Amino acid sequence: MNTMEEVVYTSKSELKHPLKLIRNMFSDLLSCRDLTMSLLMRDINAKYRQSVLGYLWACLPALVTALTFTLANRSKTITFEATDIPYPAFVIFSMVIWQTFVESINGPVQTIADSKVMLAKINFKREALIIAKFLEVWFSFFIKAIMLVAVFIYFNIHVHWTIILAPIALSMLILLGILIGLFLSPFSLLYKDISYGLSIFINFFLFVTPVIFPKPTTGTFATIVNWNPITHVVEAIRKLVLGPEGFDFTPFFVTSGVTLCLVFIAWLTFRLAMPFAIERVTS
Amino acid sequence: MNKKFCDDLRRSLLYGVKDIGREIVGAGRKSDRLRKSEFWALHDISFSISQGQSVGLIGSNGAGKSTLLRIISGLIKPDAGTVKVKGRVAPLIALGAGFNPILTGRENVFVNMAILGLKKEEIKKKFDEVIDFSELEHALDMPVQTYSSGMAARLGFSCAIFTHPEILLIDEVLAVGDLRFRAKCYRKLAELKKLNTTFIMVSHSPQSILSICDVGMYLKKGQLMGFGATTDIMNQYEADLSKLDLRLVNSADGKPKEKYSNFKIEKIFFEDAEHAEVVYPSTGRPGNLTVSVESDKEYDNLNIQIAISDASLYGERTLFFNNAIDDFTISVKKGFNRISLRFPYLGLNPGLYTLKVSIYQDELHLLDTIEAFNFVVKSDFPARQSLFFQSREWLVSQK
Repeated sequence: MNTMEEVVYTSKSELKHPLKLIRNMFSDLLSCRDLTMSLLMRDINAKYRQSVLGYLWACLPALVTALTFTLANRSKTITFEATDIPYPAFVIFSMVIWQTFVESINGPVQTIADSKVMLAKINFKREALIIAKFLEVWFSFFIKAIMLVAVFIYFNIHVHWTIILAPIALSMLILLGILIGLFLSPFSLLYKDISYGLSIFINFFLFVTPVIFPKPTTGTFATIVNWNPITHVVEAIRKLVLGPEGFDFTPFFVTSGVTLCLVFIAWLTFRLAMPFAIERVTS
Repeated sequence: MNKKFCDDLRRSLLYGVKDIGREIVGAGRKSDRLRKSEFWALHDISFSISQGQSVGLIGSNGAGKSTLLRIISGLIKPDAGTVKVKGRVAPLIALGAGFNPILTGRENVFVNMAILGLKKEEIKKKFDEVIDFSELEHALDMPVQTYSSGMAARLGFSCAIFTHPEILLIDEVLAVGDLRFRAKCYRKLAELKKLNTTFIMVSHSPQSILSICDVGMYLKKGQLMGFGATTDIMNQYEADLSKLDLRLVNSADGKPKEKYSNFKIEKIFFEDAEHAEVVYPSTGRPGNLTVSVESDKEYDNLNIQIAISDASLYGERTLFFNNAIDDFTISVKKGFNRISLRFPYLGLNPGLYTLKVSIYQDELHLLDTIEAFNFVVKSDFPARQSLFFQSREWLVSQK
C-alpha cells in the first residue's frame, strides 16, 4: 500500500512537462498489453460470431470489387493498361492491400465511437483500443492472405524472394491509415462530419491510387497519382511481392519516414485531446 | 478546483475543438474565465480525503456530483486548480460499460476487468470469487444479451468491486438489482471499508449515506456547501430541502404561475396525530396530509388527485390517491378550506419525495395544480431494510 502512485490532474497542458509526458506515454504503452489482447479477442469474437459466413467477410469486399472491375474491363466498359499479372489477380491483390488500408483508417474512428460509453465512464489506457485495432487489421489481413495464396496458385503467379520484406511495407501502410484515424478520432467524437466525410475521402483516394488500375505513366493524372503518398506504399508492397526490378524505393522511404514521425505526433494529439472530447460529448 | 460546462451544444463542440487546439500547442487555455453560454459546474471546491475515509456526496440533480467524480477519476481535466489522487481508482459508475452483448458472461468478465486495470493473471485468480458473488454460474456461458438488466448489473458490480481498488467511486449504482443483491452489495462495501478502502459515494438516499459514510459533502449548484460529519451535513441538506418546499408552495402568490381559475391551492403540509403541523412526516406514525385551498365559490364535486414519487431513485411513483376512486365526494365553500388525507400510519420509507397535486371540477376541468412539492420523510427507528412500513403487532400463543 505504500507504493501507491500519486497522480496529479491540473488544468495545465501536459506539454508543459514533455519528458514526463513521453515517459508516461511509453509506460502506458507497455502496461496496456493485457488490456489490448482482451479487447482484440473481444472485437474479433464479437465481429464474426454473429454471422454465418464469418471470416469470409474479410475476403468478400475484395472479391466483389475484383469481379466488378474484371467484368467491366472484359466488356471494354472501362479499359486499363496491361498489368504485369492477369488483371483479375491484380485487382484482388490490390484490393486486399487497399481494404487493409481502409480498415486501418476506419479502425480508430470506429472503435472510439463504439466505446463511447466506456470512454465516458472509465479512465483506462485508451491506447489499448487503438493497438487492438492495429492488430485486428493484421488479423483480418491474414485471412485475406490465405485467399491471396489461392489466387496466386490458380493464376500460376510466381512471387519474388523479396516477399519476406513485404510485411514491413504493409506495416507502413497500416500505420499510415492508423495515424489518419488517430488524428481524426477525438474530433469524430465531437463532430459527426468526420465520419460522414471519411467515406467520401476514402472513395476519392481509391481513384487516385493505383489499385484497380496499374500506375499510369503519362499525363496529369499520372502526376496526381504520383503525388499521392499512398501510391508509393501500395506500389512498394506489390513490387516486393512480384519482383522489385527497376522500382525506385526512394518515395516509399520518404513516406515511411514521415509516417513514423506523424504516428508519434498523432498519438500525442490523441492523448492530449481525448479528455476534452470526452468532456464535451457525454454526461 | 473549478470546472465549467457549456449549455449550448454547438458552442460546446466548438469550445471543445478550441481547447484541444490550445492543449496541443501547449498554449494556456485561459480556462479560469467563462466564455459565452458557459457556467461553473464546480466552483471553488476544495477538500481533502484521507485513506480509508468514506465520503457521501449529496446534492440535488445537476449539483456537480458526477462531474466531481469524473474529475477525480481523471476522465476530464479541471479548468482551474489541482486534483491529487493517490492510489488506484475504480469507478462503480457504469456497471458493465464495455459489455459486449454477443459475448458470453465469462468473456465479458475478462474484458471488463481488464478495462478496469487488472492483469490477466489477477483476473484469473479472482474469477471464481466474481462469479460466486454475482450468482450467475448457470448463465456464465450465455451471451450477455440474454441476461436481464438486473443480471447484467450484478455481473458489472461484481467485476468492479473485485478489482479491489484503493479508491472506489460509487455513483447511484446501488439502486440496481433486487433487494437481496443490493443488501449483499452493502455488506461487501462494509467489508471493503474495513480493508481501508476509500469511498466517495453519490446517493440521493439519505439512509444509505448515513449507514456507510463517515464524512458528508454537500454540493449545491457547483458550490461546496458543507463538508463534515455525515449527520450534520445531512441535516443541513434536509434543512435546505424543506426551505425549498415552502418556496415551491408559496410560488402561487410569489412567482408568476400559470393560472387555471380563481380557485387556488394555497398550501400543502403534513400534520401529526394531534393536528400540529410538522415539517418531516415520520415513517410508521399516524398523521394527515392536508391541502389548503382558497375557493372563489362553492363547489360540490371536486376531484383531487395526489401522486407521490420517490425523488431519490428514478422518480418511481410510490403512491397515488384519487378521491373519485375512493368514492368520496368533496365539496368546498367559498373561502379557505382544508382537504385532509388521514393515514393511520405513514407507509413511506425515510427519504426524499415529490408530490404532485391536481384539483379538478367534475373530473375534467382543472382548477389548480402544484407540480412538485418536495418533502422529506424521517424515521425514528431503522426502516431501511423494508421497502415500506408495515403496521404490525407481535403475538405469541400456545395451542
